Amino acid sequence: MTGERSLSYLPQDRSFALFTDHLARQSVRGSVAELTGQDLRVARNWRSSVTEPWVLELGEEVEGYGTFRFPYGPFSMGVPEAGTFEIVTYGERILEVLPGFGQKPRGILGSLPGLPLEDAALRVERLAGPYSASHASAFLFATEAAAGTPLPSLEAHVRAVAQELQRVYNHLHVLARLAEAASQNVGQAQTHALAEDLLRLASRHFGHRWLFGALLPRGPSRHLEPSDRSGLARSLSGLGARFEALWELFQGSRTFVDRLQGTGRVTRSQAVMWGAVGPVLRASGVPWDDRLRDPSPPYRDLFLPLAHQSEGDALARTLVRVEEVRSSLLLLEQLLDRWPGGGTIDPAPAVAPGRGLARCEAPSGDLVWDVRVRDGKVLEAGFRSPSQANWPLFALACRQSVFTDFHFTLESFGLSFAETDG
Amino acid sequence: MPSWIGQAFRRGILTSRFPRAPASREEVPETSRPPVLPPGLERIAVLGRAADDCPTGAITADGLYHGRCIRCARCTRQGFTFGGRALANASRPEDLYSPGGGPLPERLGPAPLAGLGRSLQLFLVDAGSCLACNREVLALANPYYDAARLGITFVNSPHHADVLVVVGIPTRPILEPLRRAYEALPGPKAVLAIGACALEGGLFRGNPGTQAPLYETLPVDLFVPGCPPSPLDILAGVLTLAGRMKCLPGVPA
Repeated sequence: MTGERSLSYLPQDRSFALFTDHLARQSVRGSVAELTGQDLRVARNWRSSVTEPWVLELGEEVEGYGTFRFPYGPFSMGVPEAGTFEIVTYGERILEVLPGFGQKPRGILGSLPGLPLEDAALRVERLAGPYSASHASAFLFATEAAAGTPLPSLEAHVRAVAQELQRVYNHLHVLARLAEAASQNVGQAQTHALAEDLLRLASRHFGHRWLFGALLPRGPSRHLEPSDRSGLARSLSGLGARFEALWELFQGSRTFVDRLQGTGRVTRSQAVMWGAVGPVLRASGVPWDDRLRDPSPPYRDLFLPLAHQSEGDALARTLVRVEEVRSSLLLLEQLLDRWPGGGTIDPAPAVAPGRGLARCEAPSGDLVWDVRVRDGKVLEAGFRSPSQANWPLFALACRQSVFTDFHFTLESFGLSFAETDG
Repeated sequence: MPSWIGQAFRRGILTSRFPRAPASREEVPETSRPPVLPPGLERIAVLGRAADDCPTGAITADGLYHGRCIRCARCTRQGFTFGGRALANASRPEDLYSPGGGPLPERLGPAPLAGLGRSLQLFLVDAGSCLACNREVLALANPYYDAARLGITFVNSPHHADVLVVVGIPTRPILEPLRRAYEALPGPKAVLAIGACALEGGLFRGNPGTQAPLYETLPVDLFVPGCPPSPLDILAGVLTLAGRMKCLPGVPA
């Protein structure tokens, strides 16, 4: 449908991969302090930076007898999002996949400077709806770090609850999409139903199904009184039991397991070299999770089992996600049980000038926001999303696989185009 | 021995009774319904205060433009309340304007696909969304909403579709594919615009790279406001296009 146009995007895609590689390597190896804002600015301006010739030289062309480029997207129900793929193939085997970004340039990041923090946060949330709690939390933590405002522990607690709810939802969504790709229709329907249960819980307790505005001072009203919290805990434990019953069936389904095993493999060295984050990294034998390294409450005080696998294939990523559903439910249980007293629920707007950097473990990996504020307004902002870090890994994992593996690889990565086209 | 069938039976029937019965509060949550200004308040003063605070310009000194509302709940501090009627009947942008901030007049929307009987195929098109609308549209296939029971299914190609469901703010690179997708639909056809972004651009209107509003690019038949609208609002919109909504989607009991 968009053959010619996508081809002209080719060099940019490669350079994007290289940039994210460079950035992500730093963020995995380094600490918060080592990841400088300059790198984040590079990430933000990658579209203009692609004219740098050194980037283009590093790309290699896949050529050979009978190869052709198969354009896929931007509109397809298989990937219900606007993004294109150039698949280099000679018929069945995928030699190379080039994800095409830039199909939805909404100019969100560019519109942030000059906005009051609260207005900016509304836009940040809508960068990627299913990950809104992570984006809003990281953005707000960054503005609070910039202004030096001490954070009420209650607010940090509420953000953790919101993030864990969304993590469970997103992992279930990935599982449902995988079940759909493997034609496990009952499993798909039942998993989608579980995910819908979570959206309704979010709606009941945070006032919005997708938690838009729920973490902001003047958002929809929250319902987290003691009776609401015990109700939420009860609903979640019921949900956990239903999830276990469902997962037992998935495990027993040879169709499902066979389809995932060995599909879209990412080796440990690839994951480390290209800077994978989140479940992709943990499924490749690197036990890394931002929540475990969080020096601040509430994660510091909670018991968090770290899920990791070493195979690096779609099955390993799914197993990591399943473990994380369990650990998130465990975390939610602890969070709801140890509710901090007092504290104001409305954080004071940041007024002092400064610059802050904050990171969160979003459902698909490490998310970084870097914000400069002055007089309660955003001066400059940048982010590195887990999707930006993991897209190059997806392209690597697809090499030498076949067409039918494409969706299993894509869904098991849990990537989104929305997070790259800010 | 656990089995898929046993699992499905144990969960029982989850499916909504809509459109036979009004939607429940759980199915159409408060924040997916439009804000209204309750009677008895100082309208001019409240509208003035709320207009200053509204991040998208949905509230002006004269009234409320539902097409721009993103349900951020700020105006609830000024006296507005959530819980207006869930609308799926506006075929023109000006139908979504309520002078004075009160509830919109009730009327049935247009039904360009009334001749298609009980079968309706949807093709989802993402013009530049945050994915929340995408997932709410696709949620129609999950057991809670189960649009297939009403003959509504999703298809993989615009050539097989009756309705083009557009989510997200139109961005420049997507305009041409959008037009071509619309041309590929066989007639009779309709365009359903879902969410604040597809209506007027929501928070991102005027950003470089975007080309809101959608109705300047495609002939939109029906608008479903919300950020995002709940799946039942979307279902009501689809049924309206097919002329199968005999009454308006009711306010939950």
